[in-house]
Amino acid sequence: MTSFRWLVQTLVTLGTNSYLLFPFGSVIYQGPLKAVCHPGLNCYSCPAALLSCPVGAVQNFIGSWRMVSAGGLPQLGTMVLGYLGFIGTLVGRLPCGWLCPFGFIQDLLHKIPAPKFNLWEPLRYVKYAVLVILVVLLPLLLIDATGLGQPWFCKLLCPSGTLFGAIPLIILKPSLWQTLTFYFWNKIILLVVILVAAVFISRFFCRVLCPLGAFYSLFSRMTMVQLEVIAGNCVECQSCVRSCPTGVRPYEDPNSRECILCLRCLDACRFRALTFGLRHYAGEPETPDSGPTRG
Amino acid sequence: MPKKAIWLIIFFTICFLLGVNLGDLDYLMNLGNTICLSCIGVG
Repeated sequence: MTSFRWLVQTLVTLGTNSYLLFPFGSVIYQGPLKAVCHPGLNCYSCPAALLSCPVGAVQNFIGSWRMVSAGGLPQLGTMVLGYLGFIGTLVGRLPCGWLCPFGFIQDLLHKIPAPKFNLWEPLRYVKYAVLVILVVLLPLLLIDATGLGQPWFCKLLCPSGTLFGAIPLIILKPSLWQTLTFYFWNKIILLVVILVAAVFISRFFCRVLCPLGAFYSLFSRMTMVQLEVIAGNCVECQSCVRSCPTGVRPYEDPNSRECILCLRCLDACRFRALTFGLRHYAGEPETPDSGPTRG
Repeated sequence: MPKKAIWLIIFFTICFLLGVNLGDLDYLMNLGNTICLSCIGVG
């Protein structure tokens, strides 16, 4: 399963960033695929990006709500909400574990041999504040003279934008150097901190700061698929806990909001105490051979 | 299948279709076709 996940992460990262004509054209891809959002965090200003960024799209829609011309309707952006909500309800945070290019970068960095540390648990709540404040409230409330809000998460924090968008664009268009502001250097410092932290703490950005992960996690306890514990098989040997990149204890809380459904715990469990499949409705009878389950 | 998930899927599908019909696709494509200055730290 782990090798298969690496393959999927590699293919998705390369496949959704495969516009290779950017040195010869208009710097970034400008085509119909940009009407589709990536399910993970992937900056649409990356010269090779084929898809739009869902977090950037949400902020821009919210930022435009108060800039309504006379008699016009605001562009609500329910399409992106529907798209992300649909994914969240179907599979929860599975895109974080399998499809997100920035998550993949962090997985690669965490392979670097170095001392590994656990995350201080209360920090995981910061991502919900990032979602509410930087993605929703500031774009809605801080508007310029034209009534337009800014994408404050992109502006102040997004490391994917700095790594995949800003740095390649500045290399391709050196004239941009003249226009860089405090925001760029702020984001460069944050990017370095986040990438270094990912070496020592697995999935640091996903667990602490990612607003997309925070949004998907709202659905973790009601997704169509789920991780399930076969209680009779579990001996609480902690193998699943040691293998988990987000510090979840699957045998205690298989539906944890921190679980990115990478399924490394399934590989780690020698007693076949964990399964992954469709969630059972409370009224459904259990299959006779499944044994008592938690999930 | 959990009932709550099915209702949510229906709700989000309606949201998606509503957005498509209100022009979100064009808005998103125009957005994606321009370089995001906030992303690169300009202005």
